[in-house]
Amino acid sequence: MTIITTRRVLFIVVISAALGSGCATVEPWQRGRLADPAMVFDADGNQVAYTTHWQEAREASSGGYGVQSGGCGCK
Amino acid sequence: MHRGQRISFAVTVALVTLASAGSPAASARVAPNVFLQSADGSMVDSSTYRGKVVLVDFWATWCPPCKISFPALDSLYREYQPRGFEVLAVNLDEERRDADLFLAAHPHHLTVLFDPLGASPRAFGVKGMPSSFLIDKAGNIRFTHMGYSGNVDENYRREIAQLLAER
Repeated sequence: MTIITTRRVLFIVVISAALGSGCATVEPWQRGRLADPAMVFDADGNQVAYTTHWQEAREASSGGYGVQSGGCGCK
Repeated sequence: MHRGQRISFAVTVALVTLASAGSPAASARVAPNVFLQSADGSMVDSSTYRGKVVLVDFWATWCPPCKISFPALDSLYREYQPRGFEVLAVNLDEERRDADLFLAAHPHHLTVLFDPLGASPRAFGVKGMPSSFLIDKAGNIRFTHMGYSGNVDENYRREIAQLLAER
């Protein structure tokens, strides 16, 4: 009996957590914090651009970043 | 290019042009009446500007094109102000200090108002930053602009002149 109740409570908690969290509408004028440079995933944009450039130029990784490339390194 | 492709290309071009340029409001609607905070803390009722051509611009310091448009709008204000034109630059920064730092570095003549809680952009239906709404003397929104590039300055001039010429 206790096990069933515990499972039921656990089930309700998990479902509530799944449904209760998540999406929030962010209006255009509320994006100040999202626009902060600290919010970017990569610390150094130039470094990422450079790394992506030479990695994309390798034949095997061609298109690996979502863009087709001929492997000539001239993109 | 097939005929169907040509048509869809033309439709796409037309839509992109409409979206990027200042577009006449589909059907002129009455500008919402909003209350905004002035620099000295007093509240300003937007309806007090009725009878003038008013450009309401929503901007914030975290938005790069907003910062580019600010001096351009100030220039438009100085050009047309003698003819009854007003610019209400509504700052939407959550932190007033951010706006104050920017304003201190950019001398201006236009009226800057503050709405950190964002009630006024909601009332106007702002869809992107920056957004500006050109309101005629009767209080109707006649033209809207979303985003900013220097290319639209002439559009602003034409629209402002048109609205100023109306009785």
